[in-house]
Amino acid sequence: MQGLLKKRRVTLGMWLLVLVVGGLLVWGTQHNAGLYRDPIMQVTSVQTGATTHEEDDFHNADRQTKQVLHGHILNGQYRGQRLTVTNTYSLSGAMDQHYRRGSQLFVVVHQHAHGLTATAKDAKRDTPLVFMLWLVIGLLLLIMQFSGFMAFLSVAVNGLLFLIAIMLNGSTQGARVLWIFGSLAVVFAALTLWLVLGANRQMLITLGTTLGGTALSLLVALIVFHFTHEKGMYYESMQYVTQLPRPLFLAETLLGSLGAVMDESTDIISSLFALKRERPELSAGQIFKSGRQIGSTIMGPLINVLFFIFVADTFPMAMLYLKNGNSWGYTFSMNMSMGVVQSLISGIGIVLAVPLASYLASRFMEKKVHA
Amino acid sequence: MSTINVLGLVLLVLMVLVGGKAGLQSFLALLLNFGLLFLAIVLVAFHFPPLPVTLVVGLLVLALTIFMSSGDDLSSTVAFLASAAVLVLLVLLIVPVEHWALVQGFGPEDSEDLEGLSVLVGISFVQVTTATAILSTLGAIAEAAMAISAGLSEILEQHPQVTTKALLGDGITVGKQIIGTTFNTLFFGFFGGFLALFIWFTGVHYSFGEILNDKIFVSEILMILFAMVSVILTVPITAWVMTRAIAGQRRRVAKAQNDHEN
Repeated sequence: MQGLLKKRRVTLGMWLLVLVVGGLLVWGTQHNAGLYRDPIMQVTSVQTGATTHEEDDFHNADRQTKQVLHGHILNGQYRGQRLTVTNTYSLSGAMDQHYRRGSQLFVVVHQHAHGLTATAKDAKRDTPLVFMLWLVIGLLLLIMQFSGFMAFLSVAVNGLLFLIAIMLNGSTQGARVLWIFGSLAVVFAALTLWLVLGANRQMLITLGTTLGGTALSLLVALIVFHFTHEKGMYYESMQYVTQLPRPLFLAETLLGSLGAVMDESTDIISSLFALKRERPELSAGQIFKSGRQIGSTIMGPLINVLFFIFVADTFPMAMLYLKNGNSWGYTFSMNMSMGVVQSLISGIGIVLAVPLASYLASRFMEKKVHA
Repeated sequence: MSTINVLGLVLLVLMVLVGGKAGLQSFLALLLNFGLLFLAIVLVAFHFPPLPVTLVVGLLVLALTIFMSSGDDLSSTVAFLASAAVLVLLVLLIVPVEHWALVQGFGPEDSEDLEGLSVLVGISFVQVTTATAILSTLGAIAEAAMAISAGLSEILEQHPQVTTKALLGDGITVGKQIIGTTFNTLFFGFFGGFLALFIWFTGVHYSFGEILNDKIFVSEILMILFAMVSVILTVPITAWVMTRAIAGQRRRVAKAQNDHEN
């Protein structure tokens, strides 16, 4: 009983510690203006001006409101100077911001003979970002403890590798994007599986399945592309493209499906190893069959995970297309078709990984699995 | 035939070959989910309020995904109830954070895509962006809830007399096993989608501070973080719902036995 009470107090202490750290982080990012080079203004009072009604060619009605923001600069050479900035916001707010008292925003300061004027540039957003990051890490450590820490570590390491690969891609002007991210995928998979499973035979089989499944899905996609002449694929609809779109699209698809295929093969193969441990008398054929069975229950939900990640993102733009008098078909083609192609290719990889994982596990598992 | 149709057909054939009837069902669920997502967009464009539309569509998606894949009745019901609870909690988190972060709509990086489009359409983009963030996590919530409840129902099968308190702990243990790979699914899924954006940032030489406050960047990172929070929350919530379901079942059995003895 004594021990139990003690243990409980420790976890309570940990929750408190996490809360205090979170509070400090949020407070800190609200007072970190000194770290920025661009001038940041703190709004101390707001005057709301006239509202005008707008209507466009498609009879979309909206309201635009002018506001005058009074405040002072928090950092840099103009620190402490009082400023007045005018701003316009709309009801829909797709491209503008409604600032309130207490808002912090980046401004562009113009110096004149008789003083300073400024225009609003953009809102400061690091506080909510840091808050959410803290929430994820805090919950992860409190609920999952060591496993949570390892999960966080593998994501952090992968993020770092990802950054290096992007730099590398930039320094080669994007000419080798598929090679860079293809080899990165191998490193990603090997490193992540090593962190999750440790270096052993199970890890090698899982790695083989992950790489094989992902490569096969790209191969199938390229064959289909060849025979359909990529009909109905609108590379020009991809967003933020600054280099040749086709290899970039393939690299995106490769990375996107890698995680899901890895997730799935880890699940199937670790279940099969556990099964063999419990019932060593099972033959390779029986192992293969069980693997297929486990795989066919998890493949559907996994394809769904990627589908929603790839396609839900297009919601705002697709809606805007519809509101601008475009047909459903055109809206789909210009916004969602590439995401759907990506989901389908990843889906093919996820499905192909099921027999691959079952086969490799049944074939290369040791006769007797040690616990 | 267009590429999408052929790829879809290949996927259908493979799913049926590998999974049989379950594969066919999963394919149908995927198709219906696409229909629901498109329906949500069309409804919002017709000025239906974005948040209620998202909640209803979200619940339908969860139900479809969970009940159309093969699982026993108990684990499917538990997974659905737990994921619905997570969805509600998530809405309570996402709505204030999206208002706070001011990441609605589009950023300066989108201006080329927006050329010729009117953005003053009279629909609140704060709500649209909130809806987007909620929808993008649905798949992850369903998958995690199903994994936990399936793991727990397997434990129950092997040890039918396990106490509800031990079962709660088992749920966290199952969660620990899946969290690492699930996080990586989310990480790669999202980062695969944002690859072009990140290449843009390095190409145009944004400063670190500019990236950290960029509307599109913050909005995308928040989406990953929401998905991660929802997966973490799914673990204890699913385990808890399972213990409630089991406790209820045992009470009913005990009562039936009592009645029988009297």
